[in-house]
Amino acid sequence: MVQINLPKNSEIKKGKYFKDKTGSKNLRKINIYRWDPSSGENPRVDTYEVDMDNCPSKVLDILNKIKNEIDPTLAYRRSCAHGVCGSCAMNMAGKNGLACTTPHADIKGDIDIYPLPHLKVKKDLIGDLDGLYKQYQSIEPWLKSNSKSETKEIIQSKEDRAKLDGAYECIMCACCSTSCPSYWWNGDKYLGPAVLLQAYRWIVDSRDEERKARLKKVADELKLYRCHTILNCTSACPKGLNPAKAIAEIKKMLATANI
Amino acid sequence: MENKPPLSPHIQIYKWHISSLVSISHRITGIINIIAITFICLLASLLVFGESKYEFIDLFLSSLIGKFFVLGLTWSFSFQVLSEIRHLVMDLGYGFELKTSRMTGLVVIFGSIFFTVVFYLIGKNFL
Repeated sequence: MVQINLPKNSEIKKGKYFKDKTGSKNLRKINIYRWDPSSGENPRVDTYEVDMDNCPSKVLDILNKIKNEIDPTLAYRRSCAHGVCGSCAMNMAGKNGLACTTPHADIKGDIDIYPLPHLKVKKDLIGDLDGLYKQYQSIEPWLKSNSKSETKEIIQSKEDRAKLDGAYECIMCACCSTSCPSYWWNGDKYLGPAVLLQAYRWIVDSRDEERKARLKKVADELKLYRCHTILNCTSACPKGLNPAKAIAEIKKMLATANI
Repeated sequence: MENKPPLSPHIQIYKWHISSLVSISHRITGIINIIAITFICLLASLLVFGESKYEFIDLFLSSLIGKFFVLGLTWSFSFQVLSEIRHLVMDLGYGFELKTSRMTGLVVIFGSIFFTVVFYLIGKNFL
């Protein structure tokens, strides 16, 4: 259901202010969403003054700097720092993206950093993605080729392989799904752009033999057709993929195929 | 005390894009148009009851609220039609690239304002 307001326990309070101690002239204010599960308090937004003269170029570098030099209690996910693992997905300046590939120079003014939208917060910038992973599991994201031999490779033409371009590169960072208003309001039933892009990836795979069953599975008012082409997903994707187009292709297949 | 995890902020913090703005406006104008068509039907059926009722309609339409009503509807209908065309093209699988969708979105927004002005001028016999 559409609920515009945040629940009472989620309302954001004013937080602490960490004044610069380095004496740097090149300071930037970073506002970060904080929630400590052990405190029993509401979430708050803390503000940090960060010395930009000694900070590398990405938003993740700022977070590392804050954690290492100013406030070690800050919690966020990160791993590869090269846009490959998808751990550091978060909302920066009102847009989802990977902190490790988002240059802070692209953001004007103070930098607001929140967890991915409309998720249960585990701590600070860490959101609970269990629901999304369960949905991912539900589309059975693996090759199903019952009749073909499992000991020989399955040949795929170059054209058929090209169909997977723009779908296989997804790193499941959840930037797209958590940017989607439809997913916010119906995330328990609507599969969301990330999972539907993966559903598409297996539907168009020439080696897969369960195409019809896969299509049938997603052909559902809530699972698929809650996509209203808002395109927040496509503009959020840090890998430059187009989940909205993949969803439209699934809809087209369903409209034209005999299922 | 039980510590229920809070919900991270969503629509409060998410930046608006042209595409999301057009999408939500499409819905809002759709609802406005349905109510408006019902209202126009009611006005039209008043005509059956004779001249005095017609005067009432005339009075309403020439009042400030009436004028706003007519002009507003001209816009919301223009917007709905243009946006619907955009949606139909998208249903065919085209126009999903970010640049294209931003451009078609802008066409819908400025086109609807353009048509509102055009229809206003036609109504005033200027065109």
